[in-house]
Amino acid sequence: MVSLADLFGYAFLVPLLMVLSFVIVGLAGTRLKRFEWGGWLAVGFAGAALVVGVLIAAAELMDPSRYTNVQFTWFHLPAAPGVFPNGFSLVAGTLVDPISALMLLVVTVVGFLVMLYSIGYMHHDHGLPRYYAELSLFLAAMSGLVIANNLFEFFLFWELVGVCSYFLIGFYYEKPSASSAAKEAFLVTRVGDVMFLLGIFIYFYYYATTGPSGGWAANGFVFVRGTTPFLAGAMGGQSTVLTVAGIMILGGAAGKSAQFPLHVWLPDAMEGPTTVSALIHAATMVAAGVYLLAVTSLFIGFTSTDQLAIVAVGGFTTFFAATMAVVHPDIKRVIAYSTISQLGYMVLAVGAGFAMVGLFHLFTHAFFKALLFLAAGSVIHAVGTQDLFKMGGLRKSMRVTAAAFAIGGLALAGIPPFAGFWSKDDVLSAVYSQLPSHPAYWPFFVLAVAAVFLTAYYIFRAWFLAFSGDKPRDPTLPHAHEGPWVMQVPLVVLSAFAVGAGLFIFWPNFQGLLLHGAGAAGIPPVYGPADLALSATSVFLGVAGIGLAWALWGHGKVFVLADSSPVQPLRRLLLNRYYFKVGFDWIGAKGVYTVARAADFVDRFVIDGTVHGFERMFAELSDRLRRIQTGVVSDYAAYVVAGLIAVFVLLLFVAPYLVAKFGGG
Amino acid sequence: MDVASFAGPFLPEILLLAGTLLVFLLDVVRVRRNEVVGAVTVLGMALALLFVLADLGFAPIAGLATISSGGIDTVPSGTPLYAVTSLGLVFQAIFLLAGLLVALASLSRPSRERGAPIFFGLLSLATLGMLLVAIASDLIFLLLSIEITSIATYLLVAYTRRDARSMEAAMKMYIIGALSTTLSFFGASLLYGAYGTTNLYAIRAVAGTGGYPVLVLLGYGFLIVGLAFKATLVPFHAWAVDVYDGAPTDVTAFLAGGSKKVGLFAFFLVFLGPVLLARTAPSGGPFTNGAVALGPVLQVTLSVLAVVTMTVGNVLALLQKEMKRMLAYSSISQAGYMLIGVAIGTAPALAGATLQMFAHVFMKGAAFLLVAGVAAWGVGPLIEDWRGLGTRRPLTAVAFALMLLSLAGVPLTIGFVSKFVLFSAAVQAQGYFVWLAVAGLLNSALSVFYYARVLKVIFFEAPAPRSEPLGVVAGASEPEVLPAGGFGYGRATAIALAVIVIVAVGVYPQPVLGAIQAAAQQFVSLGP
Repeated sequence: MVSLADLFGYAFLVPLLMVLSFVIVGLAGTRLKRFEWGGWLAVGFAGAALVVGVLIAAAELMDPSRYTNVQFTWFHLPAAPGVFPNGFSLVAGTLVDPISALMLLVVTVVGFLVMLYSIGYMHHDHGLPRYYAELSLFLAAMSGLVIANNLFEFFLFWELVGVCSYFLIGFYYEKPSASSAAKEAFLVTRVGDVMFLLGIFIYFYYYATTGPSGGWAANGFVFVRGTTPFLAGAMGGQSTVLTVAGIMILGGAAGKSAQFPLHVWLPDAMEGPTTVSALIHAATMVAAGVYLLAVTSLFIGFTSTDQLAIVAVGGFTTFFAATMAVVHPDIKRVIAYSTISQLGYMVLAVGAGFAMVGLFHLFTHAFFKALLFLAAGSVIHAVGTQDLFKMGGLRKSMRVTAAAFAIGGLALAGIPPFAGFWSKDDVLSAVYSQLPSHPAYWPFFVLAVAAVFLTAYYIFRAWFLAFSGDKPRDPTLPHAHEGPWVMQVPLVVLSAFAVGAGLFIFWPNFQGLLLHGAGAAGIPPVYGPADLALSATSVFLGVAGIGLAWALWGHGKVFVLADSSPVQPLRRLLLNRYYFKVGFDWIGAKGVYTVARAADFVDRFVIDGTVHGFERMFAELSDRLRRIQTGVVSDYAAYVVAGLIAVFVLLLFVAPYLVAKFGGG
Repeated sequence: MDVASFAGPFLPEILLLAGTLLVFLLDVVRVRRNEVVGAVTVLGMALALLFVLADLGFAPIAGLATISSGGIDTVPSGTPLYAVTSLGLVFQAIFLLAGLLVALASLSRPSRERGAPIFFGLLSLATLGMLLVAIASDLIFLLLSIEITSIATYLLVAYTRRDARSMEAAMKMYIIGALSTTLSFFGASLLYGAYGTTNLYAIRAVAGTGGYPVLVLLGYGFLIVGLAFKATLVPFHAWAVDVYDGAPTDVTAFLAGGSKKVGLFAFFLVFLGPVLLARTAPSGGPFTNGAVALGPVLQVTLSVLAVVTMTVGNVLALLQKEMKRMLAYSSISQAGYMLIGVAIGTAPALAGATLQMFAHVFMKGAAFLLVAGVAAWGVGPLIEDWRGLGTRRPLTAVAFALMLLSLAGVPLTIGFVSKFVLFSAAVQAQGYFVWLAVAGLLNSALSVFYYARVLKVIFFEAPAPRSEPLGVVAGASEPEVLPAGGFGYGRATAIALAVIVIVAVGVYPQPVLGAIQAAAQQFVSLGP
């Protein structure tokens, strides 16, 4: 009998379909004018991938205890004395388990909807074949990453995601700001990637023989499912090597997921098309970092020092990013900061040992954040500006968009029964449950709770600015109207998810999925009186934030802070993004920014400089050497003789001396 | 002794010889159409390949049973001239694949072009010489087989008889080649003087144990120089660039993809013995008047040659403005990587080097074939003449990009696998061999520069303004659009085949890699 579970072996179809889409649209897109330059083709492939992804997720939901690992040995090096005494394998494979099924669902659903939405949103742009091809590859890379069954494969797709994001953020490459934003995103995440790679090397080097049947290296570094993480035994409570490796993994995740201090690239990445922002923020690039942390914590293991570091980074980023969103006038950037902040919640949960809780928030966040972005895109599409202070009164002409943005906002603010409430609440009570045993988590827990208030405030500030009031504050704006159906359908579908995705938690199968994904560690918290009090607090804070936004900005009002106000310097600080980009001289050695800047400096001047220096040096050398190539045959014969003499000098004098001195190989 | 048992081990060679003779015979009876003689050659080579694969037990297609059970690998008793080993058969397959790709591509030449029988006949003859190299077990037999190949390739370079550049290239190749041959034979005679035999396996049994007289070192030194000519090692490479550039491009594809590996396999045969024994038996033996064992000395020398070759080749490739010269230098640097395998001399290292040579057929050989096809569209010899090919001929551009990415060693291509296996073997061998891996990695990084530059020109630069559209042969009396993507079916097939192998083995290397690893293991453990 054919059952849905048979599909688990075919999870590779998802990336494969998107790669096909990339190849076909990339090669033939310019001849496909009638299919929106290949756009409809890409939508078709994304739809097929969606079907596979949803079916796999559904099958996993039916039986959440299944871990289906399908792999083939990519290549194998036989055992030999040395670093890998039991041999070394590289394997390629797919692992369908509760975590990857959940992520696959997110990636394929959001990916398909964004692709569909693009048909309307991008219609007037140039270079569409390139756009759809790159978007397809982006989705292929992300879905490949999600179902990768070993570290090496994970890293390959991780890099591919980075490369695709570089091309997509810089899609409007004729705009200098776009191409510099793309470069910035690439370089900053590169700092993280280098750390990730170092982490992998540490695992490779120190734990090659750990694990069953010859060790990890002989098995291709696959993610092995166990009741405890893979290296839990090797940890022995606190292992310095493992701690360092964990910090390196955190660095990689912080780069991709835009966590402090590597967050700087993400707001600037708004230079890409809004659809790309939606995809990057909701389902793909930034989610990869959190996913990496979750996979590492479940399969490999973090030490408790690592966990504290992760909690610290996550908790601090949550609050830090939210403060910047409070004052920003650009609709997309407000949402961008909110992404950084929400990712902080996920990182926080993973760090506290509740990977599945973090992924649950990732799951709901993907839908309401994609919704917010696509709604914002709809606004930008209609009025042609991103400046909130020029908009106003848009709810009259754009009812669907206004409602969608409001639903997304309520979900983000954590108002029940919208999706964000359930998952954010889960995160908070998960961390809360760890406070008695880990008092060091307290400050970060408080920051995370405080961020709830800010979140509700900034997102409704944006809503009131854009949609309330009678008419746009800038009279020159074009008359707004809703986009075509291809843009409205994704909004409606995502709205439904933003309302309902959180309610999944009441479905026993979904609970089972989270429980099974978590293994022994990281079971979602049980609701007790303290959790209810916490929920009440967070809802109260959310409502208070919305109330403040309404009081200050409701009915088209514009709240102007007096120049003499004592909080004016704070506002300027926030508007300038803590001067992170304006110049670190101002805050000097304060904060880790120096490190980020130094990393950037190293990357740009030292590494680039060295590379270019070497390039020039070799160019020079090359030029000299080229003159040897005279084309005269007697010269060549002379070279042979000279070479003969050189070989004899080597053989008779140099090599015996070296061998006698240092011993042979 | 019946005919079948004599012919058995030589069936591939006999088939190829028959094909060669048939081509020349057809010339005599004035059947000179390109398609006809080409088809005969392709058929001969394909049949020979089939029999080689059959001898290998159809590994990797049917698994590794034959190789891993050591069925055909036996130590030759007495001192016969030939010994069929699994690794030799793998090399025969590599050589035949190189010849086959070139022959296939050349099917697409204009059918009335002159010199078709000469071209295909010489191609078969050169391949025949290469097949003999792969089964040689005697130094003199080895050098004579190399000579068969060499002489055939000198003539191949000049076969058009009209192009002054080809003639000049052939002349250079001949003169330097003759010099090198002389040096090789001189080296062989010195070794005979020292060992009293020219049988490679007999020498393998004694060479490298204990110390050595200077006579042995001189012999090996002359052999290094002589064989380095074939393998295009620096500083014996200077001829190669001019010849690769000046020869008809299809012939260049054969030289780079096929015949240069003859030199490298000869390094395997000649130098593995001393290197191996150096690892297993560091002292004792007939030559005890030196203080230092022979093997390590040869290893150091070969290592230095390898690093110099890869570095100089890469550095020189950096600033080349012409596509063919860039590929030629890149080909030289690749020889450096391959030499690492012999210098280390362990089974994984030999496997890595062999895989690198297998890959090189499809990366570099096919790249030259593609360049020849593109040149036929009227695209100039400079790299910048290729501007905008990505938008005009996306399939061709993507195929070329795959070859270059594979040469650079990007994952999911065969080039990544072979470099990975080779360099990790160097790391495994430890000692100073780790530095060979480091040098190889640095060189790979360096090589990315010039490959990326070509990709940038092809995909990101606007096409040069030109009077006639692409796909039209410049200067042709009436514009004619070339069939099958403009390459002709034969060339398109050859290139498609190469691309498939590059990607397929890159994605799933285990069958091919496993067969090569098993063969290398057999070759190393062939004890005296």
